[in-house]
Amino acid sequence: MKDIYILGIETSCDETSASIVKNGIEEIATVISSQIDIHKDYGGVVPEIASRHHVKNITMVLEECFEKANMKMDDIDAIAITYGPGLIGSLLIGLEAAKTLSFVYQKPLIPIHHIAGHIYANSLVKELEFPLLAVVVSGGHTELIEMTDHFKFHKLGGTLDDAIGECYDKVARVLGLEYPGGPKIDKLSAEGEPTYQLPVPLKDDSYNYSFSGLKSAVINLVHNEEQRGEDIRKADLAVSFQKASIEAITSKARKAIIDKNIKNVIVAGGVAASRALRKAMEDLTNELGVELSIPPMKYCTDNGAMIAAAGYYAYLEGRRADLNLNAKSQDTLN
Amino acid sequence: MRILYLDTSSSYLFSAIVEDEKVLAEVQKEYGQSLSEVTLPRIEEMFQQAKITPKEIDKIIVVNGPGSFTGIRIGLTIAKVYAWSLKIPITTIYSLEAMSISSEQQMIHIPIINARRGYVFAAVYDENQKCLLKPQHILLSKLQEEVKDYKNYEYITNDEFPDLNNVSAYKPNIEKIVRTFQDKEPINPHSVNPEYLKLTEAEESKL
Repeated sequence: MKDIYILGIETSCDETSASIVKNGIEEIATVISSQIDIHKDYGGVVPEIASRHHVKNITMVLEECFEKANMKMDDIDAIAITYGPGLIGSLLIGLEAAKTLSFVYQKPLIPIHHIAGHIYANSLVKELEFPLLAVVVSGGHTELIEMTDHFKFHKLGGTLDDAIGECYDKVARVLGLEYPGGPKIDKLSAEGEPTYQLPVPLKDDSYNYSFSGLKSAVINLVHNEEQRGEDIRKADLAVSFQKASIEAITSKARKAIIDKNIKNVIVAGGVAASRALRKAMEDLTNELGVELSIPPMKYCTDNGAMIAAAGYYAYLEGRRADLNLNAKSQDTLN
Repeated sequence: MRILYLDTSSSYLFSAIVEDEKVLAEVQKEYGQSLSEVTLPRIEEMFQQAKITPKEIDKIIVVNGPGSFTGIRIGLTIAKVYAWSLKIPITTIYSLEAMSISSEQQMIHIPIINARRGYVFAAVYDENQKCLLKPQHILLSKLQEEVKDYKNYEYITNDEFPDLNNVSAYKPNIEKIVRTFQDKEPINPHSVNPEYLKLTEAEESKL
């Protein structure tokens, strides 16, 4: 069979990224231009600033990607693009770039849902096996998704309010940690003991999550300790918070694995970089005797490679978009 | 020489394919918020009408602002990716220059774009297209003060300014715009960036 090369472009938040992936599994080249240092000064991503940087960087990122791959546009079989969900102004830059390349070079355009990209980051390591449970944990998403085949998504449940990564960032801010706070909480946790009592969110019979209560509990705890003139033991609070949030993730994942008779579990999204979460998922899947796949750290954050990997399977499925494809800030995964 | 002209800096799509100073295909239509959806399909239709392929373009002239931030980025992304991928020359012009050049009136031109909260993006050009006030983000009241001594002038805009007199609607003369700027020095596509003429609110509040 002929090799298929997909160009993946991802600009849904604050990373401008392009990647070329062969046959959905072999990463030929990836370039990621991150804006973390820019948005750090504002304590979070400022959408208009993110859009301004995407438009500034887009051709440089594409050029570097093609140079690294030692390829040219004519070698590409199709262009995969994140059309949503995400920040609309950011999405539009990648979208218009992908549409332009599709038009000029008459190559198929493949629309990819950002979460499908995170899930397919796993297929850059080994092919997905079905049925599987995808535990999606990122700054914008916290979802349990059952997949019976390629691009057959069934959402079992999701967060009713904040995403887990959003909650990490907010708690980090309360602890005085710089944006992005998630990785810093994870690091700090290694030095503490879970001595603070925090509620495990939404202990019910659903597959849903809720993190706003946990976030408020941390904020209130910090406030009360300050009122009493007590010093916050930051490492202890970080580990207590991680313990409660991860217990929420694993308890619902456990329920889904058992209820749905799942044999393969994957973790996807930026929070999959959390060592504590990785360990908890390993323990859970070992206990239940099911396979676990977590992408390497470099594929956990937003990148074009995961979009190209998802694009390969979408390409085989015959998924195509016209030049009137628009960006969507919200969209159901299907 | 075939030139692609593209301006998405307002709620309108203004675009054309011009060959040796003759317009082969053209779009001038208001699309409001849907420019991201319609711009490339309309460009594709122009190519069909002109009976040429996308690779048969020799140069791109793109409007880089000021105007709608999102709108500017749509056209500019298309133009810079297009030019970069085919390694063809690209040059940028101000929306306000295009507005002034398109006027047939032998008088001073004051192109203005509503920038909200009492502000406008504006510039002043004389009848020979000499710039008298460079493109800027300015309070409308301050602009009126700046131009009050001019005798013969018109404002050019497609926005609503009920309190202004001597207002003409902007109807681009793309053939004339392209003729004027076709020999302008090309720039590296990587350096093609919007001229917002205004910081983001987040940046302003940090100052």
